[in-house]
Amino acid sequence: MNVPIENSRRWDWPAVVERLGPMLALIVLVAVTAVLERLLKHESHFLKAENIFNILRQYSFVGIVAVGMTFVIISGGIDLSVGSLLACAGGIGIWMMNTAILATKLINDNALARKEYAENVAAGLNLPLELPWSAFRESLAHWSITLHLGTSEPAGVVLAVLAALVVATFAGWLNGLLITRGRVAPFIVTLGGLAAFRSIAMAIADGGEFRSASHDLFGSFGAGGISIPGQYVAEGVPLQFPNPTIVFLVIALAAAVLLRSTRYGRYVCAIGSNERAAVYSAINVNRIKSLTYTLMGFLAGIAGIMVASRTTAVTSSATGNLYELDAIAAVVIGGTRMQGGSGGIAGTVIGVLILGVIGSMLNFLDVSTYLQGLVKGVIIVVAVLLQRLGQKR
Amino acid sequence: MEQSAQIPLLQIDGLSKRFPGAIALADVSLSIHAGQVHGLVGENGAGKSTLMKVLAGIERGDSGRVVLSGKPVAFENPADAQASGIAMIHQETNLVDDLTVAENIFLGREPTRWGFVNRRRLHEAARGLLKQVDAGFGPAVKVRTLSIAERQLVEIAKAISFDARLLIMDEPTAVLTSHETQALFELIGRLKDRGVTIIYISHLLPEVLRLCDKIIVMRDGRVTTTLDEKQVPATTEQELAGLMVGRPLADHFPTRSAAGQGHALEVRDLSVAGCVYNVSFVVRRGEIIGFAGLIGAGRTEMAEAIMGLRQRSSGVVMVDGKGVDIRSARDAVRAGIGYLSEDRKGTGLHLAMSVAANVTMLSLARYCRPLIHQADEDNATRGYIDRLRIRASGPRRAVGTLSGGNQQKVLLAKWLEMNPKILIVDEPTRGVDIGAKEEIYALLRRLVDEGMACMLISSELNEVLGLSHRVAVMRQGRLEIILNAADATEQKVMHYAAGVAVA
Repeated sequence: MNVPIENSRRWDWPAVVERLGPMLALIVLVAVTAVLERLLKHESHFLKAENIFNILRQYSFVGIVAVGMTFVIISGGIDLSVGSLLACAGGIGIWMMNTAILATKLINDNALARKEYAENVAAGLNLPLELPWSAFRESLAHWSITLHLGTSEPAGVVLAVLAALVVATFAGWLNGLLITRGRVAPFIVTLGGLAAFRSIAMAIADGGEFRSASHDLFGSFGAGGISIPGQYVAEGVPLQFPNPTIVFLVIALAAAVLLRSTRYGRYVCAIGSNERAAVYSAINVNRIKSLTYTLMGFLAGIAGIMVASRTTAVTSSATGNLYELDAIAAVVIGGTRMQGGSGGIAGTVIGVLILGVIGSMLNFLDVSTYLQGLVKGVIIVVAVLLQRLGQKR
Repeated sequence: MEQSAQIPLLQIDGLSKRFPGAIALADVSLSIHAGQVHGLVGENGAGKSTLMKVLAGIERGDSGRVVLSGKPVAFENPADAQASGIAMIHQETNLVDDLTVAENIFLGREPTRWGFVNRRRLHEAARGLLKQVDAGFGPAVKVRTLSIAERQLVEIAKAISFDARLLIMDEPTAVLTSHETQALFELIGRLKDRGVTIIYISHLLPEVLRLCDKIIVMRDGRVTTTLDEKQVPATTEQELAGLMVGRPLADHFPTRSAAGQGHALEVRDLSVAGCVYNVSFVVRRGEIIGFAGLIGAGRTEMAEAIMGLRQRSSGVVMVDGKGVDIRSARDAVRAGIGYLSEDRKGTGLHLAMSVAANVTMLSLARYCRPLIHQADEDNATRGYIDRLRIRASGPRRAVGTLSGGNQQKVLLAKWLEMNPKILIVDEPTRGVDIGAKEEIYALLRRLVDEGMACMLISSELNEVLGLSHRVAVMRQGRLEIILNAADATEQKVMHYAAGVAVA
C-alpha cells in the first residue's frame, strides 16, 4: 500500500497528496466537464447515469487488465503483451466455440469438398483439393461432437470462456517462465509477446475477424447488465448497470484483498521494493513472479472473452490495441510507483475511471477526439510529477 | 593556539528541523573553528546526519541561522554549499562508476578547448590532486575498479579541487581496513596543516579521541556537550560513551555463561570456488563462535554458502546432527538457520516498507488466518520496538525513515522473529552507536543462554573477543585455527588473521 498516514496531529501532506491525489483529480475532471458542458452547451448529459454507465462499460476491460498490471508493476516488472494476448484469447475463445457449435456444418463442408475432388479426379481433372476448413479444425470438430460440446449453445459459450482463460493463463505463465527461469527482462519478453500473440490471432483469423456463431447468448453478457428498476433509457429499454463493470469491481475488490492481506501480496511488494533482500528473506522470488505474470494472463483472458462477448466479435488486427498502454497509464495515474515496491488497487480503479472520463469529456465538449492523447499524456506526466514531489520532501 | 578567540569559521545559532512525527534538530548552536578536526558523536538518531545534511545543502533547517566566515548563508542545494567551500564525503561515495577518476573529479567543469574536453589538461590537473591525497592510482583508471578506500581518496581530491575549507566526513572508516584507516588519518593530518577544517563523524570512539581536537556530543537532536582541546586528551572512551548515552556505562560485554552440550550446527569441508576452502567447524547449543579475519578472508562468503545463497563446491551442513540439503535461503530458514547479512540496505531490509512488514517478512505465515491479521502484526512489532528500544513512531512507519542504527535493530528483530536455532550475524553492530551495541550484545547473550547457537562475524575484534566462547580465525578463505576464549588475545588473533607474527 501507499505510505501510511500516521496517527499524529501533524498531517503528512505528501502522503495525503499521494493517497488522495488521484481521487481529487477524478472529482475535478468530472466537475470541470459537467460545468463546461452546462456553460458552453446549456446541456447536462455528461452526468446522466446512462453516460456514466457507458463509460464504465467501455473501460471495464482496460480496468481488469490494469488490476493485473498493478501487481506486475509493483513486483518491479512490466507486461506489454496484454493487449495482444486479450485479442488472441478472445479470438481463440470464439474460434473454439464456433468449431463446436458449427461442428456438423464444418465436417459436412469438408466432406463435400473431398467428394467434389474425388469426382474431379475420376473425371480426369487435375484440380487441387481445397478444403474450406483446415484439417486441424475438422478434427477438433469431430472431437467436439464426440464430447457433445457443441450440442447446445450454452455448452459452446462455456467452451469459449474456458478456451480463452486457458490460452491466456498459459501465455501469462510462459511470460513468467521466460522472465524467471530464462532471466530475460520483462520488457523484452513481453515485447516479444506483444508481437507474437497478435500474430497468432491474425494468422488464425487470416487477418480478419472472429465472429461469434452464437449471437444472442454469447453477446448477452458483455452487452447486458442489471436493470435498474423504474429507470429507462428509452421506451421499453431499461437502464442497466453493465455486467463487465460488475466483473471489474469484483475482481478489483478481490485483488485489493490479495495485495493487502495475503502473503502473496506482501511478497510482491517485497520483491518490487528490494529483490535481493527478498531472496535473503527466504522468499521464493521466482514463484511469486511467475504467479504474477500468470495472474496477469488470466485477467487478460477474462477481459478478452468479455470484449468478445460485448461486440460478439474480435478483430484480430485491432481488438485490444494499446490496451497495455492504457492499463499502465491507469496504474501510474493511480499512484503505483513505476519502479515497483508500492501501490494500490484502489488507485488503479480511480486511474481507470480518470481515463474513461477523459475519453468522454472531449466528446461532450465538442473538442476533437484526436486531442484525447494529449490530455491523457499530460495527466500521466502530471501524476508522476506529483508522486515525485511526494517522495522528495 | 588561540584560534578560539578568532571569528569561528562556522557558527550555527538555534537551528531546528522537524520531520513528520519526529524532531531531528532542536535548537542546535555550535561553532566550528578553522584548522581543527571536530569530532561529532552521538547515538543513532541523535541528529548528527541531519545537521550535516543541512550544512551540505541537502536538507534545509526550519529555523535558525548558519553563519560562514561571518556571513549568514542558506544553502538551497549541495552545489551552493560546495561553492561556499563545504564538501561532504559520504560513507557511500557518490561517484560515477563508469567514468575515470579525472572525469569524476571534474564532472561538469571539465577544462575545455574549442568546446571539446581537453583531456591532457584534465589529467594533469587530476594528477596533481591525486598526488596531494597520496593516491596510488592514476587519473585515467575507471572508478569501477577502485576499492572503497580509493574511492574516498577520489572524493577528497574532488573536495580539494573545489578549494573546500570545511570537509565533512561521515563515518569514513566504517568500511576501511586498519591499514587504510591509518592512511586516511595521515591524510587528515596533512589537510589540517593546510588549514582545512574537518568535521569527523564516527561511532568508533577510540579513533575520535585520537584524531579530533574538539568533540561535539549530540543527543536527542541537541548538542549536549562540547569538549575542547584541553578536555579531549583527558577523556576516556568510557566517559565519552557515557556522554553520548546520557548515563554512565558499565562494562561493554555481558558475562559469558558456559556453552551447552550438543552440536547445533556442524559444517564439514565447506568450499566455495575461489573464496572458501575446506572449512570445518562445530557450533554448540548456547555457544557464540566468533569469526575473526581481515576483509576478504571469506567469512561472509562462508556464511552465504551455509545459507544456500552461494553455490557450494563441496561441503556438508548438519543441523542437530542431521544432514540438511540447503540449496536456497528458504531451505536454510526451514532448517532453523537465520542470517543477518552485513549489507542492511542491499540485502537486509525493504526500506520503502513498514517496520512491521520488515519484521514479519520471515514469519508472515504466523499472522495469516488466512488473511494477514495486521493488528497482531503491529502488536508483535511494537513488542520488538519496546524490547530493542527501536526509535520509531510506530510499526507502520517506513523503515527507510529510521536512522541507521534503528534500521539495524529492525533487521535483528526480523531474524529473531523466525526463532532461529542457529543465528549467523554478520557485522551486527555496523553503524550502530554504543548504547545500541550494548543492547545488541546483551540480547545475543540472552538468546544463547536460552539455547540458541550463534556465529558472530565481525571486523571489530573487541566484539569478537568480548562475546565469543571460541574464536575462529580465517585467512584467505581457510580456517586457520579455533581458539578458546581464554587463549584468544588480540595479538594471537591478528597473528593468525594476517598470517605473520605481530610485533
